[in-house]
Amino acid sequence: MGTTKPKGDRLMDALFITALLAATIRLGMAIGLAAIGEAASERSGIFNIGIEGIMLSGAFAAAWGSVRTGSPWLGVLFAIIIGLILAGVHAFMVLLLRIDQFVSGIGMVIFGLGFSSFVARLTIGAKPTSVQGLAPVDLGAISHIPIIGPVLFAQSPLAYIALALAIATGWVINRTAFGLEIRACGENAEVAETLAIPVRQRQTACILFGGITAGLGGAYLSVVQVNAFVENMVAGRGFLAVACVMLGRRRPVVAFLAALGFGLAEATQIRLQTQYPDLPYQFLVILPYIAAIAALVIGHARRGMKAA
Amino acid sequence: MSAAMTRVVRVGVILIVAALVPGLFVLLAGQNPWRVLATLLLYAFGPQGWSEVLVHAIPLTLIGLGVAFALRAGLFNIGADGQLIAGAVLAVFFAPYFAGWGIAGLIVFLILGSIGGAALGALVGYLRAWFGASEIIVTIMLNYVMIQMISYLIRGPMQETSRFWPQSFLIPDDCILPIIVQGTRLHAGLFVALVMVIAAAIVQRRTVLGFETSVLGANPGAAAYAGFRVKILTVIVMAISGGLAGLAGAVEVGGIYQRLQDNMSEGFGLAAIAVALIARLEAAAIPFAACLFGIFFAGSGALQRELALPFPLVWIIEASVIFAVAALQWALPSRKAIA
Repeated sequence: MGTTKPKGDRLMDALFITALLAATIRLGMAIGLAAIGEAASERSGIFNIGIEGIMLSGAFAAAWGSVRTGSPWLGVLFAIIIGLILAGVHAFMVLLLRIDQFVSGIGMVIFGLGFSSFVARLTIGAKPTSVQGLAPVDLGAISHIPIIGPVLFAQSPLAYIALALAIATGWVINRTAFGLEIRACGENAEVAETLAIPVRQRQTACILFGGITAGLGGAYLSVVQVNAFVENMVAGRGFLAVACVMLGRRRPVVAFLAALGFGLAEATQIRLQTQYPDLPYQFLVILPYIAAIAALVIGHARRGMKAA
Repeated sequence: MSAAMTRVVRVGVILIVAALVPGLFVLLAGQNPWRVLATLLLYAFGPQGWSEVLVHAIPLTLIGLGVAFALRAGLFNIGADGQLIAGAVLAVFFAPYFAGWGIAGLIVFLILGSIGGAALGALVGYLRAWFGASEIIVTIMLNYVMIQMISYLIRGPMQETSRFWPQSFLIPDDCILPIIVQGTRLHAGLFVALVMVIAAAIVQRRTVLGFETSVLGANPGAAAYAGFRVKILTVIVMAISGGLAGLAGAVEVGGIYQRLQDNMSEGFGLAAIAVALIARLEAAAIPFAACLFGIFFAGSGALQRELALPFPLVWIIEASVIFAVAALQWALPSRKAIA
């Protein structure tokens, strides 16, 4: 946001920068994960505005799985499964029943909200329950290098998976025959069909992949970032992920980086809250949301959203 | 199998699945779905419940009209919750000046609510039309912004004078919508909603604006080719849509809360999308769809009290209804397509 004015040396402290950058990655990662799959999905021509709901379901599934089995990794697996199921419903609705993709997406948002809150109250309780989380990686000495150690080498394993997924997805879409087919489906489905590309299969694959990454994004929130499940804890991050894809013009790596931009906005506003306790915190909490609107306006994200 | 038979089977399957999904969650909660349904209906049509159904149907009707109006133009207004807040805040902010104005004060109060919501809606339309910013994302982001803004106002500049609770000062009596049935919460907002239904039906069927809106939604290219000023039209449509949500905000304050507080909307914005879709975007059908959701909203309280079923069941039902209505359109393709 560029609002961190140098207010004395204290602010510019290396420790401060380190914490800020580490927090940027930590806070942007859930959005980034969801954005990777959404970018692939939109590249194939299908919007999924419902990833907010899938993330919520994933966040709950991961928390529930971690509480029940004692293993956060099994929780992550449950989040992937629920993401696949819900994305499968979206694919069925949009591709087979030809339901408007925004209507189906909004239905998915509402379902995710209801499913996660309802089942959470029945199982792990309405109050925030603390969940055993994924431990960050510890590479010994490397993780303790000043500045870059905590920022780059002491994140959650899911963060490295996310980075790898972003790069791999970008590579598949841009550099492989499979990716070419996906792009063809998104550019012009009729032409793709005449070229004997199985359009629905490619689109289904991309939607399901979007479900996996949205589920992972939700899991990241509950077993890495917060270590608890709180009702409606995704709080718009799914929609921010969609905004990232628009900003990144449906390129997975760019969308992922845009998500880290929102992570920076979030990390900055949290720090500004402690730096300026007299300023009403509400004006700082809204920064990422305002940033999203501003970025959409400045980015003139016209190409991404023709069909709306 | 004949085409008619296929349709009947498809409709049957859709309705069964739509009922099964919430039913399964009820079973998961260890309750008998039939008993839940009976409790819901007995409450909704019982001596206490019927008025609560209507109390919830009032904002759902107003917001649903706005959502449907925007959707006819192909615009998704998911920001009704934020626009409701904007309307309520603007109306309450000026309300103290209307003390002693009588009925005129109430009317100005409601108009200010509409203006507050319309301003926020118009902003969205402007960003959409001139900058290509997705109205879906912008409206949702503004919801989060407005929730924080009202949180600030009722803990800061607009807080009640004792500064104890996070709520605003009370509005003057002139701005209060009177209770129309003694012993209930049912207030004169019901008439406001009905007037708006009639107005919206007329706009939709008999005016140039209604026609241009439908064309824009059906075929934006054709609308531009026909010489409609699409950008201006987008702003107007979003302003009207937001204005109705803002009016709902003023009505909720005037009829129920009589002040600003947190959580005034109870998720009406999302529910109103379901309302608009069930009504197939027809203004005249909106109040009936709103009453259906009024049953869910009002009844969920009874389910929570009597059967300990968590409130979020309403959202599961809402989602099932949205998917079912959309799927019915696939099963009955002769009907007009939505959006």
